[in-house]
Formats: sequence, C-alpha cells, structure tokens
Amino acid sequence: MNRKLNSIRLRGLLRSRMGEWNLALFLGGCTLFAAISLLAISGWFISAAALAGLTTTAAYGFDYFRPAALIRLCAIVRTGGRYAERLASHHAALGLLKDLRISLFARVAGRGHSAVTRSSSAMHRLVADIDLLDFFPLRVVAPWFWASLLTAVLLGGFYLLAPLLALAALPGVLLAWLLLPLLAGRHAARLARADVGLAEQRRILLLDNLQMLTPLLLWQRWSARQAVFAGEDQRFSAQRLRQQQWVSLIAAGQQLGLSLSLLGMLWQGGLLVQAGELSLPLLLAAVLGLLGLTEVLLPLAQSFIALGLSQAARDRLNQLTSEPAKQTEQGAAALTELYSLSLSGLSARHEGALSGPQQVDLQLKAGDVLLLSGPSGCGKSTLLEVLAGEPLDYSGERLLNGKAYEHWQWRSVIGYLPQQLDIFDMTLAENLRLGQPAATEQQLWAVLEDVALADWARARPAQLNTTLGEYGAQVSGGQARRIALARLLLAQRPLLLLDEPFAGLDAATREQVLAALLRRQASGMLVIVSHQPLELEKAQRLQLTMN
Amino acid sequence: MKKIRPTEASRGGVQHWLRQVLAPHKPLLNAALMLGYISALLLVWQSWLLALLFSDWLVAWQQLGAAALNVSLLRDLLPWLLLCLLLRPLLQYGRERLCQQVSLRARSGLREQLLAQLAALGPGRQALGADAVLGSRLLEQVDALDGYISRYHVQRYLVVLVPLTLLLCIFYYSPLAGILMLVTAPLVPLFMVLLGKAAAAASQKQFVALARMSGRFMDLLRGLKTLQHLQAVPQAEAEVTQAAEHYRAGTMGVLRMAFLSGAVLEFFSALAIALVALYLGLGLLGILPWAKGSIPVPYQGALFILLLAPEFYNPLRQLGSDYHAKAEAEAALTELMPLLELQVWQHPGQQPLQLSTAPSLAFHQLDIAQRLAPFNLQLAAGERVVLQGASGSGKSSLLQAVLGFLPYGGEIRINQQSLLTLRRADWHQQLGFLSQQPQLLHGNLADNLRLAAPEASDAQLVAVLDQVALWPLIRQLPLQLQTPLGERGLGLSGGQLSRLALAQLLLRDTPVWLLDEPTAHLDPQTAAHINALLERLSQGRTVLLVSHELGGLEWVDRVVSLDAPSVTQVTA
Repeated sequence: MNRKLNSIRLRGLLRSRMGEWNLALFLGGCTLFAAISLLAISGWFISAAALAGLTTTAAYGFDYFRPAALIRLCAIVRTGGRYAERLASHHAALGLLKDLRISLFARVAGRGHSAVTRSSSAMHRLVADIDLLDFFPLRVVAPWFWASLLTAVLLGGFYLLAPLLALAALPGVLLAWLLLPLLAGRHAARLARADVGLAEQRRILLLDNLQMLTPLLLWQRWSARQAVFAGEDQRFSAQRLRQQQWVSLIAAGQQLGLSLSLLGMLWQGGLLVQAGELSLPLLLAAVLGLLGLTEVLLPLAQSFIALGLSQAARDRLNQLTSEPAKQTEQGAAALTELYSLSLSGLSARHEGALSGPQQVDLQLKAGDVLLLSGPSGCGKSTLLEVLAGEPLDYSGERLLNGKAYEHWQWRSVIGYLPQQLDIFDMTLAENLRLGQPAATEQQLWAVLEDVALADWARARPAQLNTTLGEYGAQVSGGQARRIALARLLLAQRPLLLLDEPFAGLDAATREQVLAALLRRQASGMLVIVSHQPLELEKAQRLQLTMN
Repeated sequence: MKKIRPTEASRGGVQHWLRQVLAPHKPLLNAALMLGYISALLLVWQSWLLALLFSDWLVAWQQLGAAALNVSLLRDLLPWLLLCLLLRPLLQYGRERLCQQVSLRARSGLREQLLAQLAALGPGRQALGADAVLGSRLLEQVDALDGYISRYHVQRYLVVLVPLTLLLCIFYYSPLAGILMLVTAPLVPLFMVLLGKAAAAASQKQFVALARMSGRFMDLLRGLKTLQHLQAVPQAEAEVTQAAEHYRAGTMGVLRMAFLSGAVLEFFSALAIALVALYLGLGLLGILPWAKGSIPVPYQGALFILLLAPEFYNPLRQLGSDYHAKAEAEAALTELMPLLELQVWQHPGQQPLQLSTAPSLAFHQLDIAQRLAPFNLQLAAGERVVLQGASGSGKSSLLQAVLGFLPYGGEIRINQQSLLTLRRADWHQQLGFLSQQPQLLHGNLADNLRLAAPEASDAQLVAVLDQVALWPLIRQLPLQLQTPLGERGLGLSGGQLSRLALAQLLLRDTPVWLLDEPTAHLDPQTAAHINALLERLSQGRTVLLVSHELGGLEWVDRVVSLDAPSVTQVTA
C-alpha cells in the first residue's frame, strides 16, 4: 500500500488537476464536433438549397437563416475552441510537470542518496523522463477521449437517421477506431519501451570511443571500435524506424477502414434514399461527417508510441525512487554534545575500487585535531566518507559518544567537505546560507574573512549577491573549495571532516585559513586529509598505507 | 544541452548544410513528393466522383421521385472510387516510408561525417568542448534532424503544389469561389511568416526558460548529498517549487503567443468553408443579391468545391504543426556547424616506416602557427629528454604535431626521414603515448589492456601488471583480470590509473615514448612512484617527456626549456 502511494501511476497524473483536464477535454471535444458539424451542415445546406432551387417556388420559402447561422457558429467554435483547448491543456500539462518535479525532488531527497550518487547523464535522463510523462494525458488520454466521444456521437447520429446506415458504417469505423490502434498499437508500445536500453548502450559506446580517441587512433583500433558503435547506432535507429513504420501502417489501415465505411454508407444510403427512408441531403451530411472523422481518429496511431514512452519513463522514475534507500539511518536520540568518536578495526571499500582503508583504529575527543595522510589510493577519502556517515559497506565499529551512529540523530553534528564538492547556481549569500539559513550579513562577512575570501567578495560588483554559476563555474576551484568550507563553518558542526581543504592555496593563505579553522573548531573535533605538510604541533597523525 | 538560436547570418549556413545533408537523397525525396502529389490528385478525383454521384442522385430524386434513384451509377463509379480510396492510404504510407528511410540514411551519414572530422582532429578536438558534450551533439543533435527530414521537407513543397492544383479545379467551376480562396490564400503565408517568426522566437524563449528551470532542478539534485549533509533539503524544496512555478507562469505567456499561429490557420480554414458554403448555398437558391433568380454554380460543381475547400488549407495546417521540427533542426545544425565547417588537416605521408631499435628524433626550425616559435632540438637514439614549459608555451601543440595531427613549418625527422613523408599509421605503430588523464572503457581490466594489444595472453597481461606494481593488488581481488572497472575508471585512484596506462604502453613495447605531463594530477608521493617506474621502464627507448615540474625526473639525459622567447637548452 505504502509502495503504491509512493510510486507514480499514469492514471494518477490526471487526478491532481482533474478540473483543468476536464476543461481541456471538453473544449477539444467541442472544437472537433464543430469541425465535423461545419462540413456536415454545409453539405446538407447546399444540397437542400439545390433541391429548393430546382423548384423555384420552394426557394423563397427556404429558411436559410438558421443553417447559415449554424455554419457561422461552427466556424467560430472551431477557431476559438482550438485556441482555448490548446491553452487549457498546456496549462494543465505544465501544472502537472510542476507538481511532478516538486514531488519527485522531495521523494528523492527524502530517500537518501541511492538515487543521487549516479552520473550526471543519469540525472539528465531523470529530468527528461519527467518531461515525457505529460505525453500520457496529452497524447494518449485526450486523443482517445475525443476519438471515442465523436465516434459515438457520429454513430449515434447515423442510427437516428437510419439504423441500417449506422450498421453499414460500423465495421470500418470499429476497425479504424478500436481494433487497429489497440492490436497494432500494443506492439508499437512494446517497441517504444524497449528503445531506452538501446539508446543507453549507444551513448556509452560513443562516449567511450570519444574519450579514448587518441589512444584508439594510435593503436589503430579506432575503425574497429567505430564499427562497433555504428552497429549499435544502426540497431537503435532500426528500432526507431520500426516504431515509425508501425505508426504509418496503423494510419494506413485506419484510412482503409474508413474508406470501407464510406463505401458501405454510400451503398446502403443509396438504397435507403431509394426506399424513401432517408433524405438525400442528410445522407450527404452523414458522408461528410464520416470524412471529417479521419482527422479525429488518425492521432490514435501515434498514441501507443506515446504510451510506451511514458510507461518507460514512469518505470524508470519509480525504480529510481523505490530502490532500497542506501543510507545510514538516523536514530531517535538527540545528540546535544559530542565528546567522543571512535573507530575500531574499521575496513571499507568502494564498489569497483581496488583498495580501501584496512583495520583502522581511531579515538578522538572534543578539541582534538587529526591529520590523515598516506599515498593516493590508500583510502583516506574512503575513511572520511565512512566517518561522514556515507552509505558505504564497512566492517568494524564506528561509534559516537560510545554508541553506533544509527542510535543518534547524527547528521546535525557532522560537517563534511568532500573532494567533489557542490556549489549551487545561486548567489554567494544563498550558497552560504544553506549552512545557516538565519545567518546575518555580518556573520557571512566574518566567515568569508576566515576563509580569506572577503577581499575577493568585496571586489565583486554584486558583493554577497555575486552569482556563482552552474557547478560554481564563475569561481576557481580553490575559491569554490573555500566557499564550501565557509558554508560548513557557518553550520557550526562539532565534528568537521575536511578532504583536501587547502588544495590550490598558497602557503600564506593556507596558514590564515588553518588558523581560523582551529579557532572556530577549538571545542570540536577536526579531521583533515591533506597532501600539503601542515604546521600543527598538537595534532594527532594517522598514516594509512597501501593494503 | 543548450540550444543556440540561429542568427540571421548563420541561417544561410544552416540552410546550406540542410541542403548538403539531403543532397544525396534527392531522388528518394522527389519520389516521396511525387507520391504526396499523386495522393492529392486522387483526392480531387475522389471528390469529383462523389459530387457526380450525389448530383445525379439529387436530380433523379427531385425530378422523378425517390424510386427513380439510380443505384447502379454507384456500381459504375465503384471501381474508380475504390481505386482512389485504397490507393490514397497506400501512397501516404509509401511517402512516409521513403521519408523515414531518407532520414535514417541522412542522419547516419552526417554522424559518420562528424566522427571522421573528430578522428582527423585527434587530440585537438578538446578545443571544441568536453567529450560528453560532443557525444550528446553527435547523438541528440543529429537525431533532432529527423522531424525536418521525415515530415517537414516534403510538406514544404506540397504546401504550394496542392493548394494551387485545388485552386485550378475550383476556378474551373466557380471563379468567384476561387477568388474567395485566392484572397485568403496569400494572407496565410503572410501570417505564417509573421506568426512563424513570433512563434519561433517564443519557442526559443520557452526553450531557454526550460533549460534554466531544468538546470536549477539538476543543480539541486546533483548537490543533494551536500544538501542532506547540511540539512538544507527544505530550503532546496522551496527553491524547486519557486523555479517550477516561475517556469510555468513564463511558459504560459509564451504559449499564448505561439498558439495564435495555429488559431489563424484554423480561422482561415473555417472561414473558407463557411463562406464558400454560404455563397454556394445561397447561389443555388438563386437569392444572391447580385444574381437574383439565376444559379451561378450548379450543384455538382458546388459540392465538388465544398469537398475540396477543407483540403485547401490542410497542407498548411500540417506544415504549421510540424513547424517546430524545422526550428529544432535549425537549432541542432547551428550547434553542429562549428565542427562541420572546421578545416581539418590530413597527414600527407605514404612511405612505410620500420624501426627495429630506438630511433633518433630531430626538430628543425619547427614552427606551429601562433602556438610555437621556431624551435630546434635533436634527440639521439635512445635519449630521454624532458621538455619544460609553462602552460601556453606550446607544449601540447608540439606533441600534436609529433603525433601527426597538426600541420607545421620546418621539419620533424625520425632517423633522418621527414615525418610528413611517412605513413602516419606506421609511425603510430612505433609510438607510445601517455596523456595527462588516462581514460578507460566500460569493461574489465583485461578488456582495457587488450585494447592496446589484442593478441596478448593472460600471462603477458600479468607480466606487465607486475612491472607497474599493480599485480600484487589485483591478485587479491576475487575476479583478478576480469575485475570490472567502475564507470570511467571510478574506484581507481589517479596513481592506479597511471599505472594501468603504463601497462598498456608496455604491452605495445614501442621504441619511442611521448609522455604528456604523466604525473601532473598526482600527489607528490604517488608522482614519485610513477616517475621511478618511468625511469625503469623507459630505458632503451627514445623518450620525449613534457612537464612543467622537474621533481622526480633527475634520471633524464637532458632538460630543454620552451619558456624563454628563444629556446634555450639547459643541461641536467
């Protein structure tokens, strides 16, 4: 039950904005009805007029005001209705996308970072997947609703004119409206669902080849690898082509079905008129109505591709958010004061990594500083991640105040500066306030001073409101690192875990930042991984070796 | 993925490339156009047959009573009606198949062309953007041409041909109805141009807004880990809500404008039908103010015109709904043009090269336009030299020239033979190259090693891994040589990556090594390890090592500096 509440269902997409969707569906129905009526009434009108005109006496008694008014009304409804329907449906669709983005973000954020540790291309897909979901209401539900509504209205109309007329039209209309789209469409939907995997495979091959372009050229392996990619590209394109061909085929079948109905109606209608059971102008109106139905039924051929795509998108999104959350759970106990951190016999390794920290023992108490060093690849960063509560498989013991992390609300005591840090595309002040929403400007300047960025920020025209760009592109790597550090310092965490905080800093700045760090963290714990030699007499040192 | 709006200046180039891409497929496209046009002609015929049938029935019904209705006329017309009704969907199907086929071929052709350009550029491609960006251009931007090729291109011609043909038919029966259509017809292209421009600008704006909104969403998602650590998730949620709402409000404004072009077409289409129907109907009643008592268009003609009227605007409506395909294609080509139009240099040499021992390597007055001032250097056979210089001094250009990817003035000689006369593939066979950032493929350790030497046995792989001191580590792993490597070598440290790249070099066992800052991104301790390995493994080869630091390189025979305005030589 809970799982169902948490996952996206296509049917649920309509429910959140029922009123708006209903309005769009209603307007669209009116528009299409007006379009068909326009033709049918026009056909009836000229036929009736011709009949009246042939007997000149009747011509003067012919009431042409009402049909003329109806024709004008249909023209107006058709024009205005189309515009209003487009606006209403897009209003609803955009609202839907907005709701989805918000709820998906909340869900991913709430579940921990199993979804988030993926590559950025996977992220792009996530965003693209959300955009695919509005296909369901716009390209599946609406066309089917309109097609079914108008088919029913039209067949009903035929029936009222003459039951036999409806019967003559029925087989072809059924074929074009239900049988073909349903039968062939299911296959098309399957094809659409399958192409995501092929697309991913193709992308991986191309990116691999591009990144290794120079070695592949030097090793004369480029053309061979290129052929592998071309093969995958062909497979993907052929799959896409098959989808398109199915759509074309269904559309052709639908038109044939409607042609069948047309002939049936002409034949049966002729007989009915002959028998005096139907007037000729009405038969013409019915035939024109049937011709108008083509435009309404043809979008059904496409609908299953759209359905397949939105189903695939839904499945990927649901899979993403229903994966067992891999994160260190927060306990119930509040952690007001942190006085000890200990590791014993701790070993950990990243999935796919060749090495990691082995059998580490560690004791820290409030006020302690620890320097972690060792050659690259010995697992310093991995050890820091374990300390930061990252969801890593580890063995051994990891305790805060003598109890396991999972016992405490541990997040509020730990500040972690990873190697891969995140600067957001917001202003400097907004980035900093992520650490402490209530921070005053004065506090912001003070912490910038501490990380030796105050002069730089003062020199910017926008000062604290300087935007930092996507991925922090407007600032250098060293500045980004210090901004992230400042953000952590604002958050005032008793345990600070810093991975290479001084990378890219000259010696003088390094001293200044280090002094501020020690001052601010005087009563807390500080763990630093650094390649630079640091002047720290009272620090504990832990040297990791290659296992 | 950012889309650039084509400027007026670049639009000519875009059109040129669109033509270029489609040129080889002209016959197929013409055939598709033919099918589309025949289908339109069949529609005219079908309408004429229907009009004939109904007019015959009407006259019979009116003058002789219902029983006189001649159903056998339907039997006579049936074969022709059937022909029209069956053939039209088939022609339509054929047209779509042809266009889809052309689209597929044109796109894979373009993709091949782009890849060939990239391969010719070699390491120089990095100037064009990150590999991930190039990759997404090659995939998504090329595929973005699909709508244009498979739908828009042929439709563009039909939109002129079909209405003109219909107009001729209508004129034949009723000049006034024809004029009615003709008057609205030129208005349509006019409005299309005006609104099309507005719609294009609007859709561009919408795209920018979408990109910004997606960017914000991505930005926060990507940093979710940090947000969780900072316990700032609620702030981020508020941020997402705000951005999403902002996007929605903005887009709705834009769409109101964009949908107008559709509404205008709809308006003309509905208006034409309504006006024509009223004119014909009142005419048939004989009560038109200017033609009282006479019937300007008889029933058969009137019905024929009425049946054609909606089709008059249909091609335009279709074109209108495919308009975004055109905009999409133009935006995509604008992004691809820098790569397409790049003049790439082809290495000219064809003479074979065979080396049994380390060769000598000489640079005489080597000069690369705007990147490297004339430069002289001789490396004796088996000599190991460090080329030192700050970034921007032309080191990487020099390496690209030696690799055969960049034209140059002066000469590069291998054992007295000029590089420009040699077959590049032969030279590559003798060359080992280590780049700053070694890369790996998706796959396991053995796959990656065998990329360099497909024939190598497991024992050989183990031997080279042992030489670079990786085997002791790998031996302990459960899958050993079959250990899968994480995405982009994730999970390997920088030092381990360098060692793997060195192992690939050893597998090829070439007499010349070119090393491009092999330790630049490593910490000092690891760099020292790698440098020690390099010393040991590069013995007996001619080595040119480019670096801006000298630490750990005491073993080389000579250090040459590129920094000074005139190149000076420093002896180690």
